Amino acid sequence: MAIALAGILCLLTGFVIVALGLHLLPTRSTLLLGISLSTGFGLAVFSIIYFLARWSGFLHLWAIDAAVCALLLIALTPLRKHRISAAPNVEAPDQATPRCLLIAFALASLAAVYCGITYAVARPYGSGWDSFAIWNLHARFLFRGGINWRDGFSPLIPWSHPDYPLLLPAAIAHFWTVMGRETSAVPAVIGLVFTFSTVGLLFSGLDILLGRTSALLGAMCLLSTPFFIDLGTWQYADVPLSFFILATLVLLHLHDRLAKGGVESRSTLALAGLAAGFAAWTKNEGILFLLTMLLTRMWLTSRQPSPGRRPISQMAPMLLAVAPIFALIAFFKRAVAPPGDLFSDLATMLHKLGDPSRYWAVLKWYGRELIRFGEWWLIPLPIVMLVLYFLLKRNVTREEKETVRASAAALVLTLAGYFFIYLITPRDIYWHLRFSLNRLFVQLWPSAIFVFFSALGGEPLTARRGDTEPQVQQPETASQNGTKSFSC
Amino acid sequence: MLSCKACLWILVVACLLSSGRMLVHSPRTGEDAAENERRSGQRFAALRDALPQRGVIGYIGQSKDSVGHYYLAQYALAPLVVDSSPNHPLVVGNFPNTLPQNLPGNLKLLRDFGNGVLLLANEDAR
Repeated sequence: MAIALAGILCLLTGFVIVALGLHLLPTRSTLLLGISLSTGFGLAVFSIIYFLARWSGFLHLWAIDAAVCALLLIALTPLRKHRISAAPNVEAPDQATPRCLLIAFALASLAAVYCGITYAVARPYGSGWDSFAIWNLHARFLFRGGINWRDGFSPLIPWSHPDYPLLLPAAIAHFWTVMGRETSAVPAVIGLVFTFSTVGLLFSGLDILLGRTSALLGAMCLLSTPFFIDLGTWQYADVPLSFFILATLVLLHLHDRLAKGGVESRSTLALAGLAAGFAAWTKNEGILFLLTMLLTRMWLTSRQPSPGRRPISQMAPMLLAVAPIFALIAFFKRAVAPPGDLFSDLATMLHKLGDPSRYWAVLKWYGRELIRFGEWWLIPLPIVMLVLYFLLKRNVTREEKETVRASAAALVLTLAGYFFIYLITPRDIYWHLRFSLNRLFVQLWPSAIFVFFSALGGEPLTARRGDTEPQVQQPETASQNGTKSFSC
Repeated sequence: MLSCKACLWILVVACLLSSGRMLVHSPRTGEDAAENERRSGQRFAALRDALPQRGVIGYIGQSKDSVGHYYLAQYALAPLVVDSSPNHPLVVGNFPNTLPQNLPGNLKLLRDFGNGVLLLANEDAR
């Protein structure tokens, strides 16, 4: 009973935050987008509440959860009526979806859900070492440690990476605390929730921005990536991180679509900033993504300046949303966690950076893992997608092309950052690549699929069912013919 | 040259092939029973009750290669911090496969909890 109530409160908290930031015309796709975002946002807020409650010693979680949710609801009430009447419709036009594609999507979904659940049931304590050596161990220290919870961040156990941020462990500990006991079901269910919320987010984001065919194909690419579904049940933080990275990009694309139609939605930008902040609160790699995303948005804003507004002021809502989470991470890193172990002394790092064999080693692994990280059978999806990219004409407007470029640049820069870390790693480079590179690729994979289909544009994949009611946003070059349509 | 439509169908077929593979490789019930047993920490349940609520304890294990057993011991015994060193007054001995012939001279057996789990005292560290 307690777990169900806590789950509802968590989802409601996330939903209200999303509703505060995102106001679109209520449709099935926007509802799915809202629900998918709510799960991750709710869990992130629960983790922050738990960390602050643990730190302050005021661990009356029911009271805090209820108060936070109530405050958010109060903030939402005056906005709701106005927003429903003024909510813009940004959805792509109605499309004729081939029945065989729907059947293929249904089969892929059923297979993924079946496998996700059987993995979670067969391995209730997760898989791989990081689940018990890092994430669930930190959750246990937070939950069992009482006033001595900081013992879990002792430099005596550096292998447990005590400097890793706490979104996942604190969310798990939050649920354990309200239940009054530990159960392996909590991390297992959180893993499944993040996995399928990511799929829901990808589907709904593509559906709203590009149309049903792109959504079905994109979500199918993710559902049919065996390692993504598998890793989602390992109780690692890589899939939650992939969720927040994708959430950031989807929200930024929605913001830019709204802006193109003359609707300046600062709250959507703030929500994107919040998602990027949550990515940083999930894993250290998220901090890298946050920085690259801010950099690329700055570049984009400077290329498309609003009259009378400086780029920095255009980005203000995003920066304001990121700031408190960044402060929280800085506090955790300074006051709780010992220093990380990835950076050695400058001379050693420079020596490693000057060694060409290390560049070649990392490059080779990048090339090899690119086609096998998903554990696809026979045909690696990135290869097919690359061929598709060169075959299909891009059909997006200049503004949207810029948005796609900025998102792609953020992902490429993040990959470049990972590359740099491998170059200077104090561990054996091959060991490090072998045990982490496929997971790093999975972190970016849902976003890569999203950016790929955004780069293609919705039109080349489908025929339109005909002109529909006027939309706020339409690609200016949308073709009316279906010469390259995807049909049975 | 490959048409766009053909390429899209290749994408769909590739997805379905991988979904099929995922189904074939999905775990059977009880397949991971031994691993689940290890992760559940049942071996350390009695030891946990005999240890203090908090603090740092030492650890001695099978060999340097069995680092996974050490991590699992820490996982089971949290919120105690398990330092991989015998230089503490209380030391956990973790020998899941075979018990050692001889323990270091400064370690005295306090209690054998079975299943290769020992509680030792380091007389030099007092």
